[in-house]
Amino acid sequence: MAEIKWERDFETAKAKAKKEGKPVFHDFWFDG
Amino acid sequence: MNAGPYSDEKVQTFIEEEYVPLKSQCFWKERTELMKQFDISWTPTFLMQEFGGRVHRKLVGYIPADDFLAHLKCGKGMVFFEKERHEEATKWFRKVIEEHPNAGVAPEAVFFLGVAEYKKTHEASALRRAYDTLTEKYPQSEWTRRAQPYSAIPK
Repeated sequence: MAEIKWERDFETAKAKAKKEGKPVFHDFWFDG
Repeated sequence: MNAGPYSDEKVQTFIEEEYVPLKSQCFWKERTELMKQFDISWTPTFLMQEFGGRVHRKLVGYIPADDFLAHLKCGKGMVFFEKERHEEATKWFRKVIEEHPNAGVAPEAVFFLGVAEYKKTHEASALRRAYDTLTEKYPQSEWTRRAQPYSAIPK
């Protein structure tokens, strides 16, 4: 099973997206 | 953390292969800068963004796995569509229609497939085909009503 390797920093994710030519999938979540 | 649609292997694989996955925690007492920047007012909220941060799609609330996968594919289509890359956009809209015909987002994919094909070929019949498909397969959808002006286009 391909576990999702989540980024936790927006700037890092954007840089990775630019490098890999992919969009960012951004999940806003609440631990409540 | 695997919960909800993320426990589905197809969803996991698709996100890993086609997106850069990012999680941002929300705090309601003191909203984060990202919550303010993207007007996050409920969770979960999912954004599909390009590397510059531009939002191409925003989804709010829990989404079951098959609908979720269809939204992920439609989101890829919308990223290309809004960048005027219609060849790639049509590929993703077709995937939604063919692989997830019962998903909630499928009528929207039919609509935008028609628009993307029209923008690619300048043949208005593409819009008429979208209208015909919508009336046949999704007569109750709002997207069918939105496509109603295309009914005047000759087949």
